[in-house]
Amino acid sequence: MPAVRKQGNDPVTWLNQYGDALYRYARARVQDSFTAEDLVQDTLLAAYRSRKTFSGQSTVRTWLTGILKHKVMDYYRKLNPEQGDENLDIFACSLDNLFDKKEKWKIKPGDWGGDPKNVYERKELMGVIHACLADMPEKLSLAYTLREMEGATTGEICELFQTGKNNCWVLLYRARMLLRRCLEVNWFGNGK
Amino acid sequence: MRHWIFSCKKITRMISESMDRKLPLYKRMGIRFHLMMCALCRRYQQQLLFIRSVLRRNGGTDETSDQSLPADARERIEKKLTDEIKRES
Repeated sequence: MPAVRKQGNDPVTWLNQYGDALYRYARARVQDSFTAEDLVQDTLLAAYRSRKTFSGQSTVRTWLTGILKHKVMDYYRKLNPEQGDENLDIFACSLDNLFDKKEKWKIKPGDWGGDPKNVYERKELMGVIHACLADMPEKLSLAYTLREMEGATTGEICELFQTGKNNCWVLLYRARMLLRRCLEVNWFGNGK
Repeated sequence: MRHWIFSCKKITRMISESMDRKLPLYKRMGIRFHLMMCALCRRYQQQLLFIRSVLRRNGGTDETSDQSLPADARERIEKKLTDEIKRES
């Protein structure tokens, strides 16, 4: 333990105070725990290296979370969304099976009953959502996660995938259809 | 009137799109008209909005989670950080 550490910009203190909060933030946004750990580490290192730019106008926690948010976006950018394109057609096919020839519902949306009432249920539901997203083609889950968890605009998603807006809306549509169906089967138990 | 009539499949696509941008009037009218008559698509829309609300609520602070940074990771990160401090000083 070096004795030279100054109060206020000591990354080990940040780790002790905000490590759990940062980890939870990352864990809610990426699918495996190791990636989340790496993101926390990268965030603290980046924060330490740029500690002089911390103005003190926000809390340390807000500042660190801001850095982590960028790290999460960078991580997704590097995933190379080009992969997995060939799988998309298979999934489009399984979506088509939900409707009959007249484009009416064939596999009808089930009654989900009430919303999860307590924290415990909500937590479990989040777990199922993550599992469903992990089963999807990466391109879909990535577009969807950015949109619904990071609040990215369609424009930002199009830019990331270098594709037209229409295509982005189709990606998000397919992701929503798959996730809805996956939850219906795995959480609400209406799968037939 | 006929331009406002869309199939369930097309409506599901339009409902999704309406969550990402403001739709042109004829599509909004088309959705409203369709939902008046179609309980299944109403249900579909409610489910999509429900999923969104769960994800949005869980974004932000993640108060529903009690996960903490695993001890081995904490140790590893602490070592990286102290190395970095030594390197700089």
